[in-house]
Amino acid sequence: MDKMINLKINGRQIRARSGQTVLEAAKTAGIDIPSLCHHPAITPHGACRICLVEIERQRTLQPACTFPVTEGMRVETESPKVVEERKFVLQMLFSERNHYCMFCEMSGDCELQALAYRYGMDRWTYQNPYPKIPVDGTRKYFIMDHNRCILCRRCIRACGELAANNTLGVKFRGARTMISADMDTPFGESTCVACGTCLQVCPTGALIDRKSAYAGREAQVERTKSVCMFCSVGCGTEIITRSGRVLRVEGEWEEHNKGVLCVAGRFEPVYDNRARIKTPLVKKNGELVSATWDEAMGIIASRLKTTKGNKVGAWTTCKTLNLTMSEFVAVFGGKLDANVGVLEPTLAEMELPVGGSLTDLVSSDSILVIGADPLSDHRVLGYHIKRARAKGASVLLVSDHHNGNAMSRFADRQFTYEELPRAIRMIQGTASPSVVYGAGTGQKAAEQLGILKRKAHFIPVFPATNGYHAKVLGLQSGLNSTPLEIAYLLLEDISPGEEVLQWAKKAKFLIVHTSYHGPITETADVILPSLLWSEQEGSIYNLEGKKAAVRKAVPLPEGLIPENEVLTQLAARL
Amino acid sequence: MSKVKVAMDWLAACAGCEMSVLDMDERLVQLLEKIELTSTPVTDLKHPPKEGVTVGILSGTVNNTTNLEVAKEMRERCKVLIAVGDCAVFGGIMTMRNFFDTDEALKRAYVETESTVDGIIPKSEELSKPIKACPVNQVVKVDIHLPGCPPSADAIYYVLTELLEGRIPVLSGENLKYD
Repeated sequence: MDKMINLKINGRQIRARSGQTVLEAAKTAGIDIPSLCHHPAITPHGACRICLVEIERQRTLQPACTFPVTEGMRVETESPKVVEERKFVLQMLFSERNHYCMFCEMSGDCELQALAYRYGMDRWTYQNPYPKIPVDGTRKYFIMDHNRCILCRRCIRACGELAANNTLGVKFRGARTMISADMDTPFGESTCVACGTCLQVCPTGALIDRKSAYAGREAQVERTKSVCMFCSVGCGTEIITRSGRVLRVEGEWEEHNKGVLCVAGRFEPVYDNRARIKTPLVKKNGELVSATWDEAMGIIASRLKTTKGNKVGAWTTCKTLNLTMSEFVAVFGGKLDANVGVLEPTLAEMELPVGGSLTDLVSSDSILVIGADPLSDHRVLGYHIKRARAKGASVLLVSDHHNGNAMSRFADRQFTYEELPRAIRMIQGTASPSVVYGAGTGQKAAEQLGILKRKAHFIPVFPATNGYHAKVLGLQSGLNSTPLEIAYLLLEDISPGEEVLQWAKKAKFLIVHTSYHGPITETADVILPSLLWSEQEGSIYNLEGKKAAVRKAVPLPEGLIPENEVLTQLAARL
Repeated sequence: MSKVKVAMDWLAACAGCEMSVLDMDERLVQLLEKIELTSTPVTDLKHPPKEGVTVGILSGTVNNTTNLEVAKEMRERCKVLIAVGDCAVFGGIMTMRNFFDTDEALKRAYVETESTVDGIIPKSEELSKPIKACPVNQVVKVDIHLPGCPPSADAIYYVLTELLEGRIPVLSGENLKYD
């Protein structure tokens, strides 16, 4: 247990853990010290000086965010001297760039503005020279307005420490200091991976989300805690909505991803503009026409009732809620005794452990990545591998296509599958190894990896979101080749590839359960509309094998029914 | 007791602050029992009386030579000067012109505007000349700063009633806003 330390803050006796900063100790005791450059998820930096406090026997005021507590310390957080100094610091911060709030996107939610209000700033002591500074709009999803930047360096630290991408830094010195990417490259052309972590931590209006700009202040929006549905990492999210419309997505700090998301979870879903399916559709005289649920389900039920189970094939994406997947198995596998399966591999054939956590991963000293490309497909996992590497872990990559794997740039050693035993021997000798294995691992390699079962943390990388549950349910991937009378495809919002299209075309009667129009819906006989990620309510399993709650952030479009209910209603007609 | 004399004027402003003054609604009538508005930009008399007023209120940015004269005249003729609104307090949107030199700005406004045909830059001696845009306290001493774009009617009412009570208003909470 950590050593406890006694100190006094504002005359109050408090206890803090050794190693805590004054700011952390005060926060734990419920004493509010204002901060600006500080963010709990990243290393304290002491850049802005707003958190200055008076500490007995210290010659000058000290930043609470970086100053460690010591036994018998006496701290004053709002003494006249401290308040005067904070007002001065605020005046300095406002004096450098354009801090006219009236046309700023962040006005109302800005941490700098809130502090100016708190300390009653009604004028500027140092007239703002308001230099002409460019705006960098080269990135697709968010804008950097250097004019609003206070150089707190939260973005730089988030980029380096959380996303482990190290794109951001500063150029020039003093008042001319500017946040810059890759030694002065426009952000859009830099190594930025658009994970948006910097955007989420920016305290002012310097980083602006294009989609949700001017669309609602914190007091006007609702936040719904949910889970990202776009890969099997299952990052915790907050979906920010206003009047039933999704404005943006942020990373949840309390979940395993600790606030970090990737471009596929934070931005891309909000930009999806494929044509939505709003009602059930049935094919009449060669044309798909709108139908009621009753009509569509009636047609499906009558077809199913007159067809033998072995002539029916039902395949689902793994990217579906636990309840929906279970219901799918109960209806098609149980009741109808049809051929059932999933569209994406489930890693079920590999008898390898699961359950390794991102925390385990970051504290590993060696990481074996095999049959997976986490930086392309499971990016937040990839960022965590890079984080571990930044802390000294060695990354060993086993793959067939060294150049095609985004992780290869960050691999300390690369191996072919034939060389796997050598890689295994290398990490066997380390204290805390992790194995990240994906669908490309293969049976033979899985057997070889078995030797590490007791020692390493195993993190499975399922190719699709809820692959974990599909594995638990024993669903097999791979489409069957026997001719089918009826094919049912539960696709949610995915667009299946050519192989699935060809398979579906062979069936005499095709039912597609999906959210968007696409090549597959054109060949369907009945189309059932499904919900989107922001409308789902239920749970999925994340990469750590933990059940995570997916919550509905916006109301369902009129007439839509959750997929599991559709399946239940269908079963009742059989 | 005779009424306290108050004069208002504007510099380079959008009239938003004046709208907020009017937004005091019936409280304006109550105020007028205690104060006399000698001159405002929206009434017949524009200049503060030569014999002076107790309170002068200025909105807008000091943007040209006329604004400068108006600000100086108000300062000379009032005891307490209030700068009202973000433009008068901080400089406001007008300071964006400082990015360009005057010729460039005039050309953009009078010649290059998309809807202008054969535009000319007015050059009459009688016209005021643009100067570097700045807040009021850069050219004359300001006693009370009331920021806001515009400040709310409540904030303006608070400042005036505090002064009538003989107190220097201290802004906080909802009365202190920059937007």
